[in-house]
Amino acid sequence: MKKIINSADSFVQDTMEGIICAYGDKVKLLNDDFRVLLSDYPAKAGKVGIVTAGGSGHLPVFLGYVGSGMLDGCAVGDVFASPASDKMVDMIRACDRGSGVLCLYGNYNGDKFNFRMACEEVEFDDIETETVLVRDDVASSPKENADKRRGVAGMVYAFKIAGAAADKMLNLQEVAAVTAKALDNIRSMGVALSPCIVPKAGKPTFSIAEDEIEVGMGIHGEAGIEVRKMMTADEIAETLVTTILKDLPLVSGDEVSVMVNGLGATPMEEQLIVYRKVYQILADRGVKIVMPHIGEYATSMEMAGLSVTIFKLDGELKELLQAPAQTPFYTNANK
Amino acid sequence: MNSKSLAGMISAISVQMTENRDYLIELDQVNGDGDLGISMDDGYRAAAGFLAEAGEKDLGKLIMACGKVFNASAPSSLGTITTFGFMGMAKALKGKEEASFEEAALAMLAGVENIMAKAECKVGEKTFVDALYPGVQALVEYAGDPAAAVTKAAAAAAAGSEATRQMRAVHGRAAYSAERSIGILDGGSVVGALIFKGIAEYCKGRK
Repeated sequence: MKKIINSADSFVQDTMEGIICAYGDKVKLLNDDFRVLLSDYPAKAGKVGIVTAGGSGHLPVFLGYVGSGMLDGCAVGDVFASPASDKMVDMIRACDRGSGVLCLYGNYNGDKFNFRMACEEVEFDDIETETVLVRDDVASSPKENADKRRGVAGMVYAFKIAGAAADKMLNLQEVAAVTAKALDNIRSMGVALSPCIVPKAGKPTFSIAEDEIEVGMGIHGEAGIEVRKMMTADEIAETLVTTILKDLPLVSGDEVSVMVNGLGATPMEEQLIVYRKVYQILADRGVKIVMPHIGEYATSMEMAGLSVTIFKLDGELKELLQAPAQTPFYTNANK
Repeated sequence: MNSKSLAGMISAISVQMTENRDYLIELDQVNGDGDLGISMDDGYRAAAGFLAEAGEKDLGKLIMACGKVFNASAPSSLGTITTFGFMGMAKALKGKEEASFEEAALAMLAGVENIMAKAECKVGEKTFVDALYPGVQALVEYAGDPAAAVTKAAAAAAAGSEATRQMRAVHGRAAYSAERSIGILDGGSVVGALIFKGIAEYCKGRK
């Protein structure tokens, strides 16, 4: 294992300390606990709180979206592991402004169990919560079992929509409903060229031959749909877009936002070459792209590969997507 | 039921878990990871210790805090699932310092229902719930006669646990070898039966 770290055990804490050193004027730890990050941007009194939680190793997911117009708080777990429910409890309490809290997170068992427990506990103290799960990865389960799908890069769009809805002072049920509507229109799928290394494990999460590509892989190295011989960028774009469109049909005149997301070790140039083809396929169908997102939004440490996310918009979702948002890791002002 | 009798009941359940610690480990080693006896013994011991010292009289707040203590001391999947049970009970008893037998039985039913909702499991899937659900149903059904209710509940839970031998596992590590699980007693269901055995022993002792 070759990694720029001090030790596997201090990986998460050292990262969090780095974040506070860099952005301590914008985000803060809850009571000096490096497991809970809160926004320190100005926020409207009485707005619904938006929170998430998940394992480390995916920056900017999850905590990178804590800021203005997105998340109010994020509980931080070890690499690829859920944080404990009591950290989520502390976070939810800190993010409630009296209007309740939306818990918005990926469909993974550890996160689900711990969040459910945390919600039980705060509801006992009369803090209202709603839960919306992100299940955008079309490769992780067939359409008949779409409720079993994993949450991947599409969650960034969900954070954006939920944050904007809360800033519009919608109530908790309305924020949850519009976020769920957004997710009904968000699909993602990825490919991986090489594995990542979890610091404490010290060895690669899977192995793949030099001339092969794993199609449909999850962001923790969960097996994909198939292993193929290496493809060109255009072939990758076609494979991903075709599979997504089977699940989310688009017609001429539709508007979408597209995210091409690097998994950690894939250069921006390669992401743009894939975006070029995605753009052409959609343009041929008469589909217009609004606010393209190209870059690293949800990574898997040093994994090489990328994912494509398509988010079908209507008037309401487009307005919420375009509402201003700013965090240490995200802005839509340049898109 | 009040804070004192709750402490007595949990302590009686803890005695059952300690006596059966090795048996539960053995059962869990067949198709789990073997920590069942350890986590249940530790969890109930910690919960009983907490209740013996706690000053809180509100049953809801007390059981909620007890669930958190349990979860921290039994960090296994059944530990988390049991805590969902405590939390469901706590909600049903919030604001009460004293609960009738029927109220306590209904609170326990709310706890079991919370487990089924949060852990996404139902009767017949070879789990903890296969003993808990029939047990709590008997408690509610015979609530008019507490002495009979606790005896019948213990018998129903034991029968429910025994019935898991014929079931196919759908949850947890046991589901990886689902076919092989047929014929094997589910360790979680034995824990469920021991809970009602503990409750029955406690009630017998008080008469």
